Amino acid sequence: MNVVIAQSDVATAYGWGLDALWNGLLGGETAISATNRFAERGFTSDQAAMISDLRIAPGESRAWAGLKRILSPIVSKLDPMTPVILATTAGEIEYVERAILEGDAGLSRQSHPRFLLERVKGLLGLRGPGMAMSSACASSAAALTRAASMVRGGQAASVLVVTCDSVSEFVYSGFSTLLSLSAGPARPFDCQRAGLSLGEAFGWALVTSGSEGTSILGWGNTTDAVHMTAPDRGAAGLLRAIAKSLAMAGRAAHEVALIAAHGTATLYSDAMEMVAFRAAMGRPRPVFSVKGGVGHTLAPAGLVQILVAGRALSLGLAPPTVGLTSPDDGAAGWVHGEAAPFVGRLALSTNSGFGGVNTAILLGGEVVS
Amino acid sequence: MIRAAAWFCTEHCGVVAPRGLSWQKPAPSATADVLALIGRPVKYFTRMTGESRCCLCAASLALKGADWWDRTPPEIGLLAARSEGLLRANEEYFQDYVAMGRTLGRGNLFIYTLATSALGEAAIALSLTGPSMFIQDDARPLAALVWHGEQMVADGEAGGMLALWSDSSAAVCFAVAAGAGGETLIPLPAGEEPNPLELCRSLQARVQRA
Repeated sequence: MNVVIAQSDVATAYGWGLDALWNGLLGGETAISATNRFAERGFTSDQAAMISDLRIAPGESRAWAGLKRILSPIVSKLDPMTPVILATTAGEIEYVERAILEGDAGLSRQSHPRFLLERVKGLLGLRGPGMAMSSACASSAAALTRAASMVRGGQAASVLVVTCDSVSEFVYSGFSTLLSLSAGPARPFDCQRAGLSLGEAFGWALVTSGSEGTSILGWGNTTDAVHMTAPDRGAAGLLRAIAKSLAMAGRAAHEVALIAAHGTATLYSDAMEMVAFRAAMGRPRPVFSVKGGVGHTLAPAGLVQILVAGRALSLGLAPPTVGLTSPDDGAAGWVHGEAAPFVGRLALSTNSGFGGVNTAILLGGEVVS
Repeated sequence: MIRAAAWFCTEHCGVVAPRGLSWQKPAPSATADVLALIGRPVKYFTRMTGESRCCLCAASLALKGADWWDRTPPEIGLLAARSEGLLRANEEYFQDYVAMGRTLGRGNLFIYTLATSALGEAAIALSLTGPSMFIQDDARPLAALVWHGEQMVADGEAGGMLALWSDSSAAVCFAVAAGAGGETLIPLPAGEEPNPLELCRSLQARVQRA
């Protein structure tokens, strides 16, 4: 059975929709900029990739405001029993912030992802199974693998994956504490890189069987079991994930024409990925990261880059890695600061995150009958 | 199929192993005794949250109950759901950050706001390299965890899966393996699912009856 992402949508700091994201990346200008939201906080950075025209009603979370808008075209359009997977790391964390800052303890409970999941189901008119899912920065990619498994296994005709994370004081302060934030816009794989930039994104994907859409051909999920926050420098976990994705699809590494990397712009994570790509693939092929353009969007990061990879496959054009001017030694010849044409129908997308999680998904370009 | 179940709470701990030795006893509280129960040295054990410790203990006992301790199948993974969600960890981090003047938080508290932190720690301590994910079904979280675990083994994503159902003071871990014909060695509770502590007590009663 061929499993595809048949429909999807995404919002990032470049704007609403995949066209805005694709054109933003091709334009080469970053959507990361200084924000005054945390001006008084003294964090190690003031950079973020925010969605500027997000309308938030009083008392509403950014996550729900974003999801309401991006899901509106599919309200009442899906089979009511379609399972939904909500992939998020922080969800409606503002409720915890407000509970503590405003002294209203009761608000905190609203941050539980089941409330956001209920609202998503209610908005879309869904009455089937629902689950909240998290696998750190690989959350939406891992959710897509579960959705694909359910469709392939015949447990569901279609599964809706919904994902969100917003830029919040809670998360920003945490990454500032970990000294992970770049003082300027993130520059993945660049020798001048100085850390990541946080971004926000909302998106969804309808995973189903068929031939129209980007195919999910195989996947692998692994854990490094080495360190809570640092990647395995030998990339053993990511390499196993890549090998599993290829084996499940019955494809060989030489068939992979394009790689959508996690590419956070943190030194050890970028280096670990390049170790994996070089070991798994041998010869260079275009690798890109979207995070120089839209920042690290946490849970949605996987879906965001997968949708970009799908567009790239259909056009035979790898987008540039925004902010890259001088690739580091590991990335030289693989990652480019300009769009790069390529020939081939398979793309690999990888994500890694805290706790040592790795997800690799092998994607097939749309089959045009 | 569920190959073994293990639990660890502040009161007691034990293993239900249909094909091996089932046992239960009072839970140790001293660090050295808990580490002896786990059976491996654990870096940073004293820094872990109570929930992470319960999960690690329950996972190690489930590995032993499933006979996976010495004969580990490749790529054992971890799935988790939490009856309380992340509320406590989130509040603890942000309260501390606010108390420190809203400029700097504590990294180790921030890490525990990730839903998969307890899984990452268990994976490191027990050398588990399969998938690790937090999956919270909105209707039957425990049954869904086991179901996803079975699917992942059947798909070849993992050689076995540990499914953890926990809160701040109790964790239950099911060792999930591939099974023919829906064989179930340990039936999951029917009807409304118990919270982790209730499930610990139920498993203890089962061992005592046997």
